[in-house]
Amino acid sequence: MDKSDDKFVSEAKALFDDSVDGLDAATLSTLNRSRHRALEAAGAHHPALLRWVPVTGAAVAVLVAVMVIEPGPASVDTLPAGVDDMEILLGEDSIEMLEDLEFYAAIDALVQDDDVG
Amino acid sequence: MSAGAPGFAVSWACEPATGTRALQREEQLNRFLADVERRALRIAEIAVRDRDEALDLVQNAMIKLVRKYADRSSDEWTPLFYRILQNGIRDWHRRQAVRNRVMVWFGRGSGDDDDYDIVAAAPDPAGRAPEQELENEEAMTSLEQAIQELPARQREAFMLRTFEGLDVAGTSVAMGCSEGSVKTHYSRAVHTLREKLEEHGPAGSGN
Repeated sequence: MDKSDDKFVSEAKALFDDSVDGLDAATLSTLNRSRHRALEAAGAHHPALLRWVPVTGAAVAVLVAVMVIEPGPASVDTLPAGVDDMEILLGEDSIEMLEDLEFYAAIDALVQDDDVG
Repeated sequence: MSAGAPGFAVSWACEPATGTRALQREEQLNRFLADVERRALRIAEIAVRDRDEALDLVQNAMIKLVRKYADRSSDEWTPLFYRILQNGIRDWHRRQAVRNRVMVWFGRGSGDDDDYDIVAAAPDPAGRAPEQELENEEAMTSLEQAIQELPARQREAFMLRTFEGLDVAGTSVAMGCSEGSVKTHYSRAVHTLREKLEEHGPAGSGN
């Protein structure tokens, strides 16, 4: 690359910049819409997932409340003394169940995004 | 925030990251895309010779960047964005080549032409007012034609380095090749373009 190459490149760049500045309003408007569409598509990822968080939380709270307030007579008889409802609720199975819910919510969001894209 | 309780502030600062930080990130992305979109459009337009196709390619690149790389450092966005765009342009050319072959099969292609000719037949997409910039437009048209005749990799290297202003490292990321290859492609592109545009190109008048 010598000086004349540099000159050629800078002139080519100037021509290009000129053509960029000369883009018409309709094209700029389309670009603007495209950008917002892209940002919306990305924003749709997380809210879909996050929408499930309060629902899942509320469901768990109701479940806990029901089991704590109304312990079934069978549980008193059949369960050992050290095991209570909270331990069952916080067991691995319940956590896996919640993780599954989030997983399906994420899948749902991806499917929706693919439909959009 | 709570400058008096640094320990608390550090642990609590992680909490609103999803909300406030996501908004800041979105705003950053918006600024980045707004800054790059017009040049990207022209680069894509020169590569595919069709503004509507170029708009589609740019929009797809925007969506993919935001979906896949929003969490990356903003310094990485430019080469990543152009890598996505260049991949889209290459795919577009592959599809056009297939389409061209199919059309030749059905007797619609001109038999003595190259793969490029179906694209070359596309109308000039420039829609600018010609009053003051006629000379520039003619020079730019010549430059575009010369760029379009370059081999694809040389074209990519030239446009990314010259028009977008990426450095060699950024261009190598965008092109998915080594920095040495970028230098070679770019140097050959400049040499070829200068030769072609000697008479009426942007540098021709100066020499």
